Amino acid sequence: MNCHVGNMVCLSQRSQATFRMILPVLILIAVELVHPTVSCKNESCSQLLQHSLRLTRLTSKRTKELLETYKASQGDFADLICEMQLDNVPVSTVSGQTISQRILSVYTHLKEFLPHMKTVMEQQTDLNPPTNPVAEGLNRMITHVTHIAVKVNCILEFLQPNIPIPEPAERPTGIPPAQNIFQQKAYGCIVLTRLQELLSQAVQEQKSLKKGKMCRKTTKDGS
Amino acid sequence: MDTSCNLLLLLMFLHYAVGFTNSCVKILPDSSSSIVLEVGKDFTATCHLLEGSDYTSDDIEWISENGSIPKQSYRRINETAVSVTVNIDSNLNGWLKCRAAKQSLSFVPPCVYGISLHAGYPPLKPKNLSCIAVQEDKDISPNLNCSWDPGLRNPLIDTTYTVYANVLGTTQKHKAECNQYLARSCVVNLETFPIHMILKVWVEVKNALGSEQSELQNDSSYFAKPNPPLNVQVLAEVNIPTSLMVTWKHPIDRTIMKLSYAIRYRKAASEVWIEVPESFTRGYIESFRLQSLEPYTEYVVQMRCIGESKSSYWSDWSLNVANSTAEAKPASAPDLWRIIQPTANNRNVTLIWKDPVKANGKILSYNLSINQGYKMFESPSIKENTVSQMYSMELPPGKMANIEITAFNSVGASPKASLFIPGSDKELPGVEDMSWSVLDGKPESKLQVKWTAVLPPRPTLHLSEYLLEWVKITQSVHQTELQVGWQRVPKNLTITTLNADLEKFKRYNISVYPIYKNHSGHRLFQAGRPVTRPAYIQQGTPIEGPTVKVKKSKKNSAELTWDEIPLDSQRGFITNYTIFYAIGNTKQWKSVTVDPNVHSHVLTDLASETDYVVNVLVSTEAGSFKGTDCTFKTMKYGDGEVEVIVVVVCLGFLFLTVFIIMFCLRKREVIKKMLWPQVPDPSDSSIAHWSPDFPIKADLPKEDVSVVEVDVFDGKSLCEEEKGVLPLKKDKYLSEEHSSGIGGSSCMSSPRHSVSDSDEGDSGQTTSSTVQYSTVLGSGYKGQTPSHQPPAFARSESTQPLLDCEEHPDHLNESQSRSSYFRRGRELEPGVLAPECDGGSLTFCPVQEEEVSPVTEEPPASALSYMPQKSGYRPQ
Repeated sequence: MNCHVGNMVCLSQRSQATFRMILPVLILIAVELVHPTVSCKNESCSQLLQHSLRLTRLTSKRTKELLETYKASQGDFADLICEMQLDNVPVSTVSGQTISQRILSVYTHLKEFLPHMKTVMEQQTDLNPPTNPVAEGLNRMITHVTHIAVKVNCILEFLQPNIPIPEPAERPTGIPPAQNIFQQKAYGCIVLTRLQELLSQAVQEQKSLKKGKMCRKTTKDGS
Repeated sequence: MDTSCNLLLLLMFLHYAVGFTNSCVKILPDSSSSIVLEVGKDFTATCHLLEGSDYTSDDIEWISENGSIPKQSYRRINETAVSVTVNIDSNLNGWLKCRAAKQSLSFVPPCVYGISLHAGYPPLKPKNLSCIAVQEDKDISPNLNCSWDPGLRNPLIDTTYTVYANVLGTTQKHKAECNQYLARSCVVNLETFPIHMILKVWVEVKNALGSEQSELQNDSSYFAKPNPPLNVQVLAEVNIPTSLMVTWKHPIDRTIMKLSYAIRYRKAASEVWIEVPESFTRGYIESFRLQSLEPYTEYVVQMRCIGESKSSYWSDWSLNVANSTAEAKPASAPDLWRIIQPTANNRNVTLIWKDPVKANGKILSYNLSINQGYKMFESPSIKENTVSQMYSMELPPGKMANIEITAFNSVGASPKASLFIPGSDKELPGVEDMSWSVLDGKPESKLQVKWTAVLPPRPTLHLSEYLLEWVKITQSVHQTELQVGWQRVPKNLTITTLNADLEKFKRYNISVYPIYKNHSGHRLFQAGRPVTRPAYIQQGTPIEGPTVKVKKSKKNSAELTWDEIPLDSQRGFITNYTIFYAIGNTKQWKSVTVDPNVHSHVLTDLASETDYVVNVLVSTEAGSFKGTDCTFKTMKYGDGEVEVIVVVVCLGFLFLTVFIIMFCLRKREVIKKMLWPQVPDPSDSSIAHWSPDFPIKADLPKEDVSVVEVDVFDGKSLCEEEKGVLPLKKDKYLSEEHSSGIGGSSCMSSPRHSVSDSDEGDSGQTTSSTVQYSTVLGSGYKGQTPSHQPPAFARSESTQPLLDCEEHPDHLNESQSRSSYFRRGRELEPGVLAPECDGGSLTFCPVQEEEVSPVTEEPPASALSYMPQKSGYRPQ
């Protein structure tokens, strides 16, 4: 969205008058294009929460399975490499005071993990043959995390419909490209481990949402 | 050379394909490719004459693939342009040309320009779009198989079908193209199935004339089809015989899809499924208890599943899983019946029964209780593993019996079944009539039995039901083995179909019994008199023909007999017998048809003393079979004909004999005269009465005693005659008395006898070929002394054989008595001659001759002159 907005700004620099005329329209179009509210309207709050929770549980479970598969495929010292510390990997801690803030934290973290997962998948694809189950599983995890992000975004829309959801900037992972194989293995394991931790917390957050009867009002409203 | 030719052709083609660029005309609209037009629409093209052209608009002509387009479709725009409007149909494919040419003779070359047209239809909107992703392993396959109904109209032009899929909230769009005409399905790969996401799928069909699309948007689970439940098991509940526990495993993780289940079951012997209401299995469960089942019954169970709230496709049904419920006490009584076979002084009662309909387990034994005449007769316990469920006993005709039977399985006993058998003279009435018919059906026919209703004879009796019994009749007509079946029919019915697998071509006896229930005292069930009819479920052609025998063959008829063919060979009711007969090998068959109950027949109007071939054809309604040929020959004479002939001949002979005898008796005098001509009787001659002074014998005429020719009728008479002259012979001859001896007479003598005689008396003669005959001469006539002078005889030699009488002297004696000749002499003068014989007279007196002959036999005193003999008799 930032990019699109940026483009609009560039256009406005070329033609100030034109920019002033079409800016509101363009902003509206851009917001409509990137905002996931369109998809969120196809589900009720309870369905959304239910699907999101199940998907998060499924992804958490599969991440756990994938982590085991990953460790099994990395040879000796798998447990050792998973305990290493890397600064550039996103943390899995969900922060925030309110439920909305914590859900937003989940959403932000999910978005942050996606480029790291893609990097790990690329590394694993290079390290192992294409039929590598880890790469295949990672690909599926990327899809699922993306889908969870969509669901969480919709939840946020339900939780705070009047507040725009800030999209985390797509930025480089910060991982140096010249990683050796050992570092790549450690990096992948840490990413998966932290992702699994994040998903577990996401499940808990959504459970708390369910307990908090987030959808009671909207259900009554008939949404 | 070839290459240059090809190049030239290519250039010509290109020149033609791109149009006549150097032409003096041009068509608008123009296109380097085909112009696609919609069928049914009008299309207008304009032909322009280029600058410098020598033609005018009047020289322009439009030509399609079908030929020149009529001028009515032209519209002259100006001097250099003419348009044409054509209606596009599905056949309008090809070139539309504009040609400019002078109509009169001209040296200016014509100009031509063409555009390619292609007719078609815009695509129809796909209908009924549906997509499905099946479960693969523990996940849903990313391959989404979408199908739709493209409609029946062929677009005629290239049309593409593209399926798009998008997970709402994401920007990624998956697509798959299917370019074949009227494509109905396409598979789009989603890479990862978007679990719990909203999936939007649409199919877009596009061609040169337009595009259409159909869209589908739903939760992704609606596109998923799970596998059937895993590891379905059916477990019997030992203590609950009416229940089965069904267990299974979820085929897919609940995080992917939460399922609800459906269970259906049926009896193994049935094809009808019973489905458990879905509300009972709605939860995310892994077991269910089937209830209200029948004990000891095998059930087959199947399961399937669907996403919660029917949010997915139904899975397929799982494979059959079967198990049986546990045993329970028999819930119904055995079906008891009896067969009564009267014997000479008793009744042989065979009790037969079937397992209880609701046995609820394996029947292990039966307990029979038999009362005869209100006293316990016996109470055997019969194990189920016996070969047949039957029990035989003797029951006197006057006695009644009450039988009760109970079945036992491993859990308990069944209710009792009872049957009352009255005395022979106390049978209850049966139905009046019954009939049967065959109901043709597939795969097998059934026998339908109909009978008249019966009313109970007494108020205390109630009609309980009817019982239909069928007994297979085996080889012997009069012997029935216990291949028996029965079924009970409610009392309000008078027609039913036998639930029996009756064999084709086999005869059965179908009986209908009314079953009465006696309410006086104990409840007794008693059968009435049966009405029985033979029946076939299907009749066939006999497989054997009768063997015909000829019992009696006459001059013009023959009696044939044959035996009924064995019952198993009849294979149906015999409708008739047809007797075929023909003479010898002529094959000119004649036939006679007789009723099926006839087993002998007399063929009439046969030719006498003729060979016949006969056979008998036995027929049922399904066909016929010919018996073996039998050959016989008719007699030459009929009965009594020979006897009549013999009697007639005998009687004729008898009458003839009697007639002859009577004739002879009546005409005896005539016959006598004919046979024995009247010879003058010397004794009755006048000289006989003459009494001269000298001895009588001297007065006898000197003439010879005439020789008597004896007829064959009485040859012996001559012998007798000779006897008179025997004394004239030498002694030897006299001693033989009856023998005529050599040359005794003209009477027939056997040559043999003559030989012996001649040997003795005259050794100088051989009489084998020559017989000496002699003629006795009365030499003592007229003054001779005949008493002392033996008669001389002349011997002659003759080749005539001797008579028999000479061989049989006894005949001579008889002849003596029968010689009427001599008897007559005696009769005429009995009193006269006798004394004279004694007196040595020369009269014939044979009786006395014998006595006197020895005395008188003396050699002749003097030689007498013999009378000349004919035939050269040798003079003596």
